[in-house]
Amino acid sequence: MPTAQQQTILAVENLTKDFPAVRAVDGVSLGFRRGEVHGIVGENGAGKSTLMKIISGVYRPSAGRLTYGGRAVTATDPAHALRLGVAMVHQELNLVDTLSVADNVFLGREMTTFCFINRKESIHEARRHLARVGSAIDPAREMGSLSIAQRQMVEIAKALSCNASVLIMDEPTAVLARPEAERLFELIGRLRSQGVTVLYISHILPEVLRICDRITVMRDGKVVTTLERAKFGDGPSAEARLASLMVGRPMADHFPDRAAPQDATVLTVEGLSVQGRVRNVSFEVRAGEVLGFAGLVGAGRTEMAEAVAGLRPRAAGRVTIEGAELRPDQPAQAVRRGLAYLSEDRRGRGLLMGRSVVENVTIVSLKRYAKPFISRRAELAATRAHVERLSIKLARATDPVDTLSGGNQQKVAVAKWLEVEPRALILDEPTRGLDIAAKEEIYGLIRQVAGRGMACVLISSELNELLGMCHRIVVMRAGRIVKVLEGDEMTEENVMLHAAGVKAGADE
Amino acid sequence: MSAEPDGQNREPDLGPEGLVAVRRSWSRRRTLEVFGPLIALALLVLVTTAFNPTFLLPENILNVVENQSFVGLIALGMTFVIISGGIDLSVGSLMAFAGGLGIWLMNTAIRAPEITAAAAQAQQAGMEVPYGAVRIALAGLFGWTGLGGSEVWGVLIAVSAVLLAGLAAGLLNGILIAKGRIAPFIATLGGLAAYRSLALALADGGEFRSASAELFKKLGAGGLDIPYLTNRYGNAVVLRWPVLALIAAAVAAHIVLNRTRYGRYVYAIGCNERAARYSAIAVDRIKIITYTLIGGLTGVAALLNSSRMNAVSSGQTGAMLELDAIAAVVIGGTRMTGGSGQVWGTVVGLLILGVIGNMLNLLQVSPYLQGLVKGVIIVAAVLVQRGSRTEQ
Repeated sequence: MPTAQQQTILAVENLTKDFPAVRAVDGVSLGFRRGEVHGIVGENGAGKSTLMKIISGVYRPSAGRLTYGGRAVTATDPAHALRLGVAMVHQELNLVDTLSVADNVFLGREMTTFCFINRKESIHEARRHLARVGSAIDPAREMGSLSIAQRQMVEIAKALSCNASVLIMDEPTAVLARPEAERLFELIGRLRSQGVTVLYISHILPEVLRICDRITVMRDGKVVTTLERAKFGDGPSAEARLASLMVGRPMADHFPDRAAPQDATVLTVEGLSVQGRVRNVSFEVRAGEVLGFAGLVGAGRTEMAEAVAGLRPRAAGRVTIEGAELRPDQPAQAVRRGLAYLSEDRRGRGLLMGRSVVENVTIVSLKRYAKPFISRRAELAATRAHVERLSIKLARATDPVDTLSGGNQQKVAVAKWLEVEPRALILDEPTRGLDIAAKEEIYGLIRQVAGRGMACVLISSELNELLGMCHRIVVMRAGRIVKVLEGDEMTEENVMLHAAGVKAGADE
Repeated sequence: MSAEPDGQNREPDLGPEGLVAVRRSWSRRRTLEVFGPLIALALLVLVTTAFNPTFLLPENILNVVENQSFVGLIALGMTFVIISGGIDLSVGSLMAFAGGLGIWLMNTAIRAPEITAAAAQAQQAGMEVPYGAVRIALAGLFGWTGLGGSEVWGVLIAVSAVLLAGLAAGLLNGILIAKGRIAPFIATLGGLAAYRSLALALADGGEFRSASAELFKKLGAGGLDIPYLTNRYGNAVVLRWPVLALIAAAVAAHIVLNRTRYGRYVYAIGCNERAARYSAIAVDRIKIITYTLIGGLTGVAALLNSSRMNAVSSGQTGAMLELDAIAAVVIGGTRMTGGSGQVWGTVVGLLILGVIGNMLNLLQVSPYLQGLVKGVIIVAAVLVQRGSRTEQ
């Protein structure tokens, strides 16, 4: 007789999902226990998301069986899955910005008196559900005014308000800063003690190892293994074991060696301010240097970078590239003078998703190919060169860029900026959402361009990435630079303490 | 592919091998999108010919094209506007206003001596002056500069006025939309109301009738005789200027859209305006150029149309023309959301609309029912394209 903790609440048997040319999920059998946090890891394309989409009813399986709390079904739809107690917290957070928090929580199942929405009661109920996730957000607030972390809490509260017993979280910390992530982990712990099962998908292995009770590793649509957390041991060796299970080979240290920067200063920023976001930021980047920017979400790093690139109005400050000043609000001039900014928002700001790879690669440097008529052949040749150099996997360069995988899309976005041969390259969260192999390729690429004398600015929320890649790390908090860390000072602890404001910086 | 924080649930998550499958389904939906309108046109031609073989006579086909040439010029501009993610509702009214203004100025110039004389006479006799102050002043100006009383000068004034009015109205739309941050629908809806009203006011609700008996008419009604081609009465078949203008403009538009930086930027802005801005594209400038372009093309259409009729009706000319232009673009496979589309699709859309009208005429269907058929075709075209776009 299994204990309550051991009781299987959700099981899949021989689950298979075929897409036109690929078997995305291949004969997967898994059981999830009541009140466990079950990590699911694997590289991009391993089938994790497809599996979760089958469980939450988005996809119909090609074969196999699902059992929800003892009830076997062959297929389901999202509404049915929700009634069976499975809710998914989406990566892109399906919430309506213009409605109130309470309206969002009860979207589609509004509390009504006759046919009118009972606003008072729904606000009251929403407050109760929010309290359950430990959030004190006012349910009457407009959704659009909330931070991403708060929106995620609303999304979870919404799932719980449907009496979900299984909660699927797909990369929930990808959009969160460290303290917010900590709060999420606390909440996950609380949900576990309430008997809720959490299926936790993440690329961030230390997180998975920290919060999960059991971990399932997937590769090529199949389950490699499911192990108790304790089986992995502690420390970096646990991560390495997990990573090698994911890729099927032992992992090397994935940061390439740093070369020393040159003496010449390329990018200089002096006294840069952005209305309400950035205050008096100054720094220099030398040729061949990789300067890291650490900070919590909302520290103003992206706003700072956008102001440098002329994409956001400056309230004050000077930006120069190799002595030539960049005028504010002139993105085209910034590019001409040799500044490239790779946006953190690949879909919204980085790429033209519906247009071809070629068009995306040459969109900034188009002048070179138009005399005055665009030479398609020259464009294609240039694109092929980038595809080869960055080993971008694609069928044809004329296909729309949204047919590529996330990692390859990111490489196209990088290629578009390398095309203009910039002197300084600002990379804003360049590896967000990429798997280990793709990350390593991006790291290698940054090293390569820095080695050729490009000045690189790396904005990242992944500490090990900053520590592994950068020569110096600038820590920002609330729009200001609070500390510049160099050499031995560059430790995870130091960065976090300054970013969170626990340790007062010398230059503050 | 679970690692996509920004991923939409549109594509199945696949490994590299899956890419091929996605691409294949993509090219299938592209095929229908690209060739659907062409197949529809071919079917229409076949059906029409089966019912009435005179359809295939060169003069009839040229007639179809000529009837579509005015809306066609505007639809070419509309293709750019819609691909850029916008819309222009002001073109129909603008066509009436620009054409009317041209004729009004031309008449003022040609009749300048009469107007000046009549005004002076009336003033001397203490009677009411039969012309407005602006007209008398302009007539005086034309007379003083020596342009008055000449048909040639009058026509030249009309041509430049119509084209300039079109360009200026387009520029104004562009500035309102790009710099004033007004939604294209709203900004051009304003133009729709305003230009019609200006045309009505200028003509006092009536018609602008050209005072140029022959010369002005030649622009729209003249053309080139096609060698060796005669109609059934033995007269040479004429390739009229509006047809030539449409063909030339379509070729030019195709090249501009596909082979120039401007064209590429139009696609980019329609696909994702923010990403375009982050790619250092001067988004505002491209938008202003686009609306000025459709304004200019509307000017050309207004000129040819008013010349062919040798008149402009302040209430009727160009009424609902904006919808016909949009319909041609949409039937041609350009999405209203922007970011994709082709000039030749619009040309096919124009021909489909023209052939339907012609077919219904040849089949002697009541003209009142033609709108119904047009409506059904528009919706069907979009449905077919949508159907071919949805996956799974």
